[in-house]
Amino acid sequence: MAGDPYAALGLTKSATEAEIKKAYRKIAKTDHPDLNPDPKATERFKAAAAAYELLKDPEQRRRFDAGEIDDQWQEKPRYTYRPHAEAAGNPYARDYGFGGDPDLSGVFDDLFGRGARARGFGGMGGMGGGGDRQFHMRGQDLRFQLQIDFLTAARGGKTRITLPDGGDLEVTIPKGATDGQTIRLRGKGGPGMGQGEAGDAYLTLTVLPDPTFRREGDDIFVTLPVAIDEAVLGAKIAAPTIDGPVNLTIPAGSSSGRRLRLRGRGVNGGDQHVEIRVVIPPNVDDDLRAFMETWRKTHAYDPRKEA
Amino acid sequence: MTRIYTESEVIAAVAYLTEPRLIAFCQARLVSPVQGESGARMYRETDIARLQLVSDLAENYELPDDALDMVMSLIDQLNTMRGDMRALMQAVAAESDEVRMRIHTTVHRLR
Repeated sequence: MAGDPYAALGLTKSATEAEIKKAYRKIAKTDHPDLNPDPKATERFKAAAAAYELLKDPEQRRRFDAGEIDDQWQEKPRYTYRPHAEAAGNPYARDYGFGGDPDLSGVFDDLFGRGARARGFGGMGGMGGGGDRQFHMRGQDLRFQLQIDFLTAARGGKTRITLPDGGDLEVTIPKGATDGQTIRLRGKGGPGMGQGEAGDAYLTLTVLPDPTFRREGDDIFVTLPVAIDEAVLGAKIAAPTIDGPVNLTIPAGSSSGRRLRLRGRGVNGGDQHVEIRVVIPPNVDDDLRAFMETWRKTHAYDPRKEA
Repeated sequence: MTRIYTESEVIAAVAYLTEPRLIAFCQARLVSPVQGESGARMYRETDIARLQLVSDLAENYELPDDALDMVMSLIDQLNTMRGDMRALMQAVAAESDEVRMRIHTTVHRLR
């Protein structure tokens, strides 16, 4: 290799032995071809390694400095691990984590299955035979959209879907299923080839809205219409919940917008929140009108004024 | 035909490798040479290339064996993944435009 070995280490001729070692180590740490994939780094490393080979021995360095050794200093051939480590059948190949992935391990094994390949490693430099390998492939994963009603999602339940091949399938919807949630049906996808397992079916849920209930997480929200007398005097009313009507006490003097809580009546231990809406009777009759006119004379109040 | 190297050939070929170091690396299972017919340890090209990296790490970072083991484990995982990725890339590159477009769309949606 031509050129100045001192320059390859970023030094000058006056460098001490310790400086030479330090400079080489620094380059070896940043530019080692097995640690840094940049080809420019590899060039810097090769030059530094050759320079260090020449200069690390004080006697050899002295002879080089004196011109006794040709400045066509030798670059020693040096092994790089990466090409060996990336090659198919590398005995040091190591699983990097998809084996334990519940969703991807099957697909991963079909493509790269280290288990099957490892059998070829026994002998000297043994390679997994590629040609005679029997073809096994896991079946295709199938993806579907599934619409379910609000109460089925909240309470859980079973529903049936029809598959593209005409067959149908019972699907269990977990309690508290949410819009956009994906359910995996193991082995319900396309059939496998050879000894490959069947693929999985994935159902993405669309939860349809409900006229009565609204849901946020595990909590259920309901608006409950009450009559004026119930609002004024208080009452016990059957309020709808996802598991059927439940008696709810409306405190006397409840305005629209008042929120009551039914603890534990939501989804999976969540609460149900009931918002009261006072509804005036559809026809205001003479009795009511007469009563209100009399009442207003002595009890008028302004609800727009802050209390 | 894969060439097989003896212990002294390996020590000569690998920078910073000494006999005590080689024995220690084998005992720590950082390399797994094969057993020759005479019972002597024999080394493949892969073992030599690996020993060069292990020696560089030991020399330049002064790493103890357990740290070397951890670093080599990570490097093995990465290189295995790179090899797998390269194979997958080659397989994708050989597919039709339509298939590559679908893969492209899915990959970009996920990452």
